[in-house]
This record gives sequence, structure tokens and C-alpha cells, in this order.
Amino acid sequence: MMKKNQLHIQIIGSLLMLLQALMIVMSSVSLQGIPLWLQQLGHLHPVLLHLPISFIILLLPLSIIFKKGTEQERLLISYFLHYTALFATITALMGLLSAASNEYDPDLLTKHKWLSISTAVLSHALVYIHQISLHKRTAWISSVTATVMLMFVGSHFGGSLTHGEDYLSFGEKENKSKEFKPITDSTVVYNDVVQTILINKCIECHNEQKQKGELDLTSFASFQKGGKTGNAFIIGDPEQSLFIQRALLTIDDRKHMPPKGKLQLTSEEIFLFKEWTRKKADTLLTFHQIDQADTLRSIIEKIVNTKSIEKTVNQYPFSKASDDKIQSLNSPFRRIMPVDIHSPALVVKFYLKEKFSIQLLEECSAIAKQVIEINLSSMPADDGIFKHLSKFENLEKLNLNGTLISGKELSALKSNKKLESIYLANTSVGKNDLEVIGKLPSVKSVYLWNSKVTDKEAVALNQKYNQIKWDIGYVPDEKELLKLTPPSTVNAEKMILDPGELVQLKHPLPGAQIRYTIDGSAPDSMNGLLYSKPFSISGLTQINAIAVSNGWLSSNPSTFTYFLKGAKADSAVIINKPADRYRANGSITLINFNKGTPTNLNLNWLGFRDETMKAAFHFSHPIQIKQAVLSIADNTGAYVFPPQKIIVKGGNSKSSLRVIGTVSPAQPIQQRNAGIIPVTVQLAPGIYPYVEIEAINVQRLPNWHPGKKEKAWVFVDEVFFY
Amino acid sequence: MEQQEKEFRLNVTRRHFLTKAGLGLGGAALGGLLFKDQFMGVDSQAAMQLGVAQFAPKAKRIIYLFQNGAPSQLETFDHKPLLNKMHGEELPASIRMGQRLTGMTSNQEKFPLVGSTFNFAQYGQSGAWVSELFPHMASIVDDLCFIKTMHTEAINHDPALTFFQTGAQQGNRPSMGAWMSYGLGSENSNLPSYCVLLSRGRGNGQGVYSKLWTNGFLDSVHQGVVFSSGEDPVLYLNNPDGHDKQSRRDMLDMLAQFNASSFENIGDPEIKTRIQQYEMSYRMQSAVPELTDFSKESNTTIKLYGPDCLVPGTYAANCLLARKLSESGVRFVQLYHQGWDTHGNLEGDMRMQAEDVDRASAGLIKDLKQRGLLDETLVIWGGEFGRTNYCQGKLTKDSYGRDHHPKCFSLWMAGGGTKPGTVYGETDEFGYNIAKDPVSVHDFHATVLHLMGINHEQLTYKHLGRRYRLTDIAGEVVQGVIA
Repeated sequence: MMKKNQLHIQIIGSLLMLLQALMIVMSSVSLQGIPLWLQQLGHLHPVLLHLPISFIILLLPLSIIFKKGTEQERLLISYFLHYTALFATITALMGLLSAASNEYDPDLLTKHKWLSISTAVLSHALVYIHQISLHKRTAWISSVTATVMLMFVGSHFGGSLTHGEDYLSFGEKENKSKEFKPITDSTVVYNDVVQTILINKCIECHNEQKQKGELDLTSFASFQKGGKTGNAFIIGDPEQSLFIQRALLTIDDRKHMPPKGKLQLTSEEIFLFKEWTRKKADTLLTFHQIDQADTLRSIIEKIVNTKSIEKTVNQYPFSKASDDKIQSLNSPFRRIMPVDIHSPALVVKFYLKEKFSIQLLEECSAIAKQVIEINLSSMPADDGIFKHLSKFENLEKLNLNGTLISGKELSALKSNKKLESIYLANTSVGKNDLEVIGKLPSVKSVYLWNSKVTDKEAVALNQKYNQIKWDIGYVPDEKELLKLTPPSTVNAEKMILDPGELVQLKHPLPGAQIRYTIDGSAPDSMNGLLYSKPFSISGLTQINAIAVSNGWLSSNPSTFTYFLKGAKADSAVIINKPADRYRANGSITLINFNKGTPTNLNLNWLGFRDETMKAAFHFSHPIQIKQAVLSIADNTGAYVFPPQKIIVKGGNSKSSLRVIGTVSPAQPIQQRNAGIIPVTVQLAPGIYPYVEIEAINVQRLPNWHPGKKEKAWVFVDEVFFY
Repeated sequence: MEQQEKEFRLNVTRRHFLTKAGLGLGGAALGGLLFKDQFMGVDSQAAMQLGVAQFAPKAKRIIYLFQNGAPSQLETFDHKPLLNKMHGEELPASIRMGQRLTGMTSNQEKFPLVGSTFNFAQYGQSGAWVSELFPHMASIVDDLCFIKTMHTEAINHDPALTFFQTGAQQGNRPSMGAWMSYGLGSENSNLPSYCVLLSRGRGNGQGVYSKLWTNGFLDSVHQGVVFSSGEDPVLYLNNPDGHDKQSRRDMLDMLAQFNASSFENIGDPEIKTRIQQYEMSYRMQSAVPELTDFSKESNTTIKLYGPDCLVPGTYAANCLLARKLSESGVRFVQLYHQGWDTHGNLEGDMRMQAEDVDRASAGLIKDLKQRGLLDETLVIWGGEFGRTNYCQGKLTKDSYGRDHHPKCFSLWMAGGGTKPGTVYGETDEFGYNIAKDPVSVHDFHATVLHLMGINHEQLTYKHLGRRYRLTDIAGEVVQGVIA
């Protein structure tokens, strides 16, 4: 008999050891991602927990009754203790499993978890304490009492987890939240809105019976009186009003109201409180009295109306898909996103044409229930998608813009009972394909821009199925003529061509024609050469070009200047020094065939002001030249003018020079846009091994110029000889 | 390398160490687990979970048409007939109330009021006032939501722009687009989530700088990527001559291995960023050409945005590209159009600027609308501050200019959950002060974040010992502009 008892106790004892070890391990590792059935096993926790609670409570009277300590009594208590510890441990294990679902307040959970595990450990310890405390009754009773108390505190947090923090607090509970009355002109802001919010969110703790902080919000008078910290509000001054200040504190602040864990005020509600306080906290203010343009109006409408919207809009009749499933479907080419962090609804978008296949859509049937939006825009998706689309029973938005669908299969969408918007822009869908859509009850908008539907047909659709907005989008006005952009050259910045190199013009509008001249005259839609292929030039050439196309106004002319590389000077020497800031690469700048731009004068330009521009060029194998061309910057705003005179001298050497050509370029008569001006100097034809050029800058800027009487700059970036 | 390692070690802070130590010991020591929360440095502040909206967003993407240089509110949307009536009269001191002036007008002896030279009319059901400069915008006012009472703290371009883009004037904070990318992540991982497009009008211009699209203290993946206007909008995206796609792939795989091993050794998070960037650029090789090829645009589209849209680098081309990027899931497309700084010759400059932006801005709205995308795309049009109601320089018969004015200016928003056909706020009849419903730049940021499904108080990043937000310690959502 005795043996059997001991064996029983030993078996339970070993089981207990094992389970306790398991409990310690499980409490220390993350249980997220354990199988669902294990989590569901955790649902037994609230049932089982009654066993250890009653057993532990019973320990106390048992210990008091069995004070003799006979063998029989001790055995009974030993049994009892073993079972208590066993139940406590199993309950704790179930609790850990159920905590894995993550749906509880982490703060409370941590407290409950560790206190209850301690209870289980302590009840296990009681088995041994009982064995060694044979004659120490006080020690025994206090150990038992401690366990009971620990258990109570632990279970209190457990109760708060499931039943709310105030579950065990006493006093009247206002569980019924008050509904807002629909807004009318006679709606009284205080009574009908402010007071309702206070009742729903504050009055539970601030009422006549339970005046936390000595504040009672049940009547206006007591509300105004405030609590122990002071008046709840100061009429007309929301910033100094205590109840608003408290609401605005961060949620972790001890003084934040409503306290953490309670239903919080929304930002609209706080806004309303502020505005109402600012408007003299008038208890009689009606909705009618609020100015039409006042934001407060729309806020009140929002507060009153969202109550009902919140319930319907955010609640979908399906649960979240598992994170793993979503994760496994997500890729750079198929993105699946929840609408927001709380929502079970998903949006699926496809990216990169070359990566699209119908299989990518088909695989989404794993989350078919949760998908409310599919975006296939620009994907090479054809009619094959429709047989898969019908699986998405909760689909609300379907974007097929720019896909390859024919429209013939649109009837498959009949099974998408919740479909509200269909995007068919840029597809070959025609009017006849759309009749089926017109009959779908939930559809509200259909986008048809650039489809086969004409604007007349769209009008007809809008009349026939007027519950739907058929959007045809922008239709250009035939009569409106727009001006084309001017033509450009393929290599716009390259202004210097090698002999034989071709000029290539272009215009971005398909079908536009380019007409151009090279004689300085203005081309128009009739005159000028029609550009058909790249052409060559000789010497310095100015091209004026316009773009022409049917249904468009001709463009403004664009002008391109091209320099042909001429006789190449072997070296150049700057005689007068350019200004420090504008020295570019020194003398080589003039013959290196690198052009500057008229607005960036720091690069590739030599700039002169205090002295004239004066440079010499040397030819080892001179050929006959007839022209010198200087490429000159023209930027009146930056005081950069063409030179007033250019003098070219030539000869066999530096010491035998004579003037072989001069020119006085035309001067600007008002501010003008920056540009590059080629200035040609006609020379007495001849062979000149040595040429010297001086460009004299304008010495007195004209009176119309802001810098009148000052010297002008002259900028040269390149000199050519032909 | 040695230097970098040294720097990295210096960057390992006590907190960093404890965090790592907490994690490492956690598996072993029950004691550590009991106080796990303390060791893991879990933020007690209710910070938002990144990568997804906190509540159902109204807008999923933003296109910000920034009018750089500050277009005058008095020549665009804020109609002030009193200024025409009092043309040439002195600005009453009771209106100016000692408001500080820029260095450009502080020496001016007189402040003659100047009425707009452009005619105004009311349009649409909302009856919003629009000047003759913007006939196309006028045709869509019922889709627009005007805010007439923006005000800012800065009075010069650089700080004002920086303030608008980053929520602070100093230029060391992340910009709006970077915050969006950080908070909401990217929709399309084949493209950057924050793209920047630049254009320059013919008016008096002010520069833009890369600090305006900086990631600040956020991870550098959130930095804005500038598309250039030439033949290759994204530089260095093409494979070098003689390399095909496969050899590029092999190279990247090898490089990723090297990077991964150096990350293991050093642990610098920027290495991870770099690996991600390479992968994204590889996919961008396919994604970008699809978007930047304008050769197949229909005649209708070209007429919608205006023929300029075919010329790379123009505002119109950028609007069209912005629509394509946005449609492809780019979270934030930031345009800057320069040239609105009308200190003098206002009439001529404004005409040229308006000509460049009017058709394309309105075209963008219409285009988004006809594709069903306007509901989920927030478009913003506006500058960094307003312009004075008095003349800068001498008021002559045929010319005037306006100086910077931070106390009130207008912008408009469209789509993305804003209330269409709305005019929010009122300025006084001098167009100098705000009469009703002021909206600060912080309020504006809070509102934009709200539309994107983010509580601006919860999108935070801890840096140098404190938490930062786009709105820092201010900002209230402007409910009146939300549908």
C-alpha cells in the first residue's frame, strides 16, 4: 500500500519536474510562429486556471485543519501539494501558448506571465518545504499564505488582460456608450456632441460616485469647476485649459487623459474641444450658428458621422492572411501590401513588363479572399487573366489600364460582386464590351480614356447606366492649335564640325517636318529647304529651322551656328593678358576647338576688360586664307558686348606685319538674351605664316545700360581661319 | 580601410553594445530575459511600424510641383481689388506692423502698394479666383483645393525652401520625400521611392541644392534620386560597352558576396544599403527605359501636357515623367521649377513662367483623373513663400516687382483625399496678413502625412539622443482641406 502511494507520488513528482523545466524554457524563448493548433491548445488556459486557483486557496484551510501532522495527514497534504503544483504548471504552460497569439497588452502580459510562473514554481517548492517543515508550523503557514497572495496578484493581472483593467474595480459601470444624434441645425454643440464624447470616453472615471482627481464631468457646472488641479477649462482659452492640455500630452505621460489602455480621444474630438472652448465654451451654441466656412462644422460632421462609418468601412468580412503567405508571394515584380497596418485587406500590384506572366496572378488565389485591389496597369496581360480574376470575391478596384485585353471577356467580372472601380484606359475595349459592366450592381466608376469608346458613346453609356460614372477623360479640342517646339540638332552643344561632318536636325513629334535656311532668311511652312537627311556645310554657317506639322502651328525658329574647322594654327600666343578669372586654359583655348556656352563664362572663354583682346597665331605650313572668324560671347546682362572693332594683321613674322582686315561689329541697342556671335573679318587673301588679332572692347557702355560709361567685357573662345 | 574600421569602432556606443549584448546573452540567461525589454532598448514611445500606413491612407503617392523662387500669390490666386484701388499709395504701418524686410527692400523709403496687372475671374462651382495667367488651371478649379493662408518663418529662398522640404531651416534634416520613403517604404522596389526632377523657366531663377532632397540622418536609401534631363535620365544605368546583362549579373553577384562578407566583418549598415542599391539599379535597367521613352506618347497626351512635354528637361516633360513614375509606384516625385523670383519685371517674367507651367500642371491633374489615379495621388503646387503687396524698387508705369513675403501665400493641392473645389483660409484685403485659418508649414506637413495614413507625431527617428519628426514639435492636421 505504502509502496504504491510512493510510486504515485514519485511519478507525479518527476512529471512535475519535467513540466516545470519545459515551462521555464518556454517562458524564455519567443513562441511566435508556433503552429496554430498549439496556440489553440492555449485556449484551455481560462478553463484550467480554476483548478490551481481553488487548490491553492484550499491549501490554507487544509493546513490549518490538519495540524496534528500524522502520517496519514501528511500523505494527504503531499498528494494535494503535488496535484496543486501540477495543475499550476499545466495552466501556466497553456497560458504561455495562448500568449503567443500576441493579442494582449504586452505590459500586463509580462506582469501576469512572471507572477504566475513564480506561483507555479513556488507551489512546486511547497512540496519540498512541506517535507522539511515538519514541526515549523509558522514557517509552513506563511509559505502557504505567500503562495496564495502571489497567486491572487498574478491572476488579477490575468483577469485584467481579458476583462479589461477595471474589471475588479468596483462602482457603477457605464458600459453603454451613447450614440450621437444625427446633426440638424438645432444640434447643440455642448449637449449633443461635447457631452456625448465626455460620456463615452471620460465619465467612467469622472462621475458623481467616482470622482478621480476630484473631477466630475456629469454636469456643466461640475465640469467647469474642475478637480483638485484646478479648473477644467478657461473660457475662450483652449491653450490654458487643463482638460485639453491633458489630452495633448503623450500617451506615456502619467498625466495623459484618458489614461493609457482606455479609449482615446481622436484628433477631431480634441479639435472640437479646443474650438468649443475658444468659442467661449458656450453651452447654447448650435450647429446653425457656426459659420458656413468654419472648419468646426466639418469636424462636427466628421465626429458624428464617422461613428457609423468606422464600423462599416474598416470591417471586412474576412480575416487577415498569414504573414508567411503574403511574404512568400511578395517579390520585386509582384507587390502585396495591406491597406494599413490593422487591415486584413490587401492590394496587389505588378511591376516590370518583361517579368510579367499570368502565373504571377494565378498564384495570388492563395490570398484571393483578402485582395480588394489588383493593379495590372501597363502589364502585357491579355484576356487570359479573366478566368483567374473571378476568384477574387472581395475585389473592389481593378486597374487594367494599358493592358492587352480585348474587352470580350469582361463579362467574367460578373462574379466579382464587390467591384466598384474598373480602369480600362489605354485599352482596346469598345462600347459593346461594356454593356455587361453596366449591369453590375456595385460598379461606380469606369475609366475609358484612350479606349475604343468615343465621346458620343460615353455620353450614351452615362445616360443608359447612370449609376456609373463613365469617364472618357481628356478629348483634345480639334480647333485648338498648339505651337510646336522648335527643332533641335542631334549634337546641340557641338558647334564645331570637321570637314565633311554632317549637320543633323531632329524634332520629337513623330511626323513633324523641318524646314531650314542657311542664308540667314527666316524659313516658313512654304519657304526654306525641307530637311530630309543630314547635310554638310562649308565654313561658318547659320541655320534657321522651324518645325511644321498638320494640325499644329509652326514652331518659332531655332538658330544653330556651326563652325567648320579651317586652317589649323600651330600655336597661339596671348599678347594682352585676360582677366584672372577668365583665363580658361590660356592661349591654347583659342585654337583647341572647344566651345564655351554664353552663360557659363568661366569655362572655355578668355575674358578681357582692362586691356583689349590681343593674340597672335603661327602657321608652320601656311595656306591661303581669306577670312578670320572670331567666336564671341554676347551677354549684355553680364556686361559682355561684341568688340567695337577687330583689327587683323598678317605677315611673315612678328616684325613684318600689316593690317589685312578690320571690322566693326554691330552693337546691341537694348538688353538681349545671351548668345554666341560669330564675327567674320574679311581678309586680303594671302599666305600669312604669322597673324595677329586685336579685338577692342567697348570703352563706354551705352546710356541704356545699367553700367553706362563703364567698360564692357569682350569674351572670345575660338578663332577660325578659312 | 584601417581608418574606416577605427571610425566604425568609435561609432559603437554604449547603447549599441548593450543592445547587442542583451541580444547575445538573451538566449542563455534567464535573468537577462526577465529584463529583456530593458536590454533590447525597446522604445516606449508609440513609434509607428515602418513600411505600412498606420491607418487607411487617402493618398498613396505624392507629386510635388514645387514652384521655386516663390510665385506671387497676388498675381495667381489671391485676388485683392483693394490693391488696384490704392495703387501707388503707401502701405499703412498698421498693416505692416513692423514685419521684417529683406535686405533688398529694407533701405527703401517708400512702400507703394501695387495692384496686379493681371485680370482675375472666378471659375467653377467653387468660384475660386484665378488670374488670367492660368487659363488651364482655371478650367480644373473644381478638382483643386486652394490654401490661401500658408505662412512660413523664413524670408529668404534657401532657408524657406529648406524649411518647406525638411521642416527646419538649417538643412540637416531629412526631407519630406525621405520621411515618406522611411515611413511607408517603396511600392515598387525596381525604382527609387523618392525621385527628383528639375527644370528651369525663363524668369529670374534661384538655385536648388541636393540638401533639399537629402535623407538627413535617415538611411541613405531614402535619399531623393535626381533624374537628369539629357538622353540618359539616370546616369550610369546602361551596361558599359562590351558587357551584356548576364556578365553584369555575375559581377553584381560577386560584388554582393564581397560586400556581405565585409558587412560581417565591419557591420556598417551602409554596406547593406549599398548592396540593396546595386540590386535596385540592376532592376532599374529594365524599369527606367520603359518610363523615360516618350517616343510612343499619343497625340492626345502631347496635347494634354503641351508640345514641350517631348523636350527633355522642360517642366512639361517632367510633369509627364512624374505621372509615369508615380503610376509605377514611386512614392514621392519632387519637381522643382525655377524662375519665379520676380523682384523686378514681374509682368514679363510671370507671363513666361505661367506659360511654361499652366498647361502641363493642369494636364497632369486631368491625366491622373482620367486614369483613375487622382484619388490616390496627392498633387501639390506652390512655392516657398509669398510676395509683398508693395513694390520693390521704383513703381513705374509699366513695370513693378515684389519682394519676399513670408506672412501669407497660396498653394493648391489636388487629389489624394483633399477636398476638391475648396478655398481654405482668407487673407486681409491688403493681402498682407492672414485674416482667418492660418496654415503653417508644420501644419501643412502634418496634413500631408495624415493624407498618407501617417500620424505625424508617431513617425519619428532617434538621432543624437532625441527623437525627430518631420513636424518636430509642432503641426496640426488641417481638417478643413480633407475630404
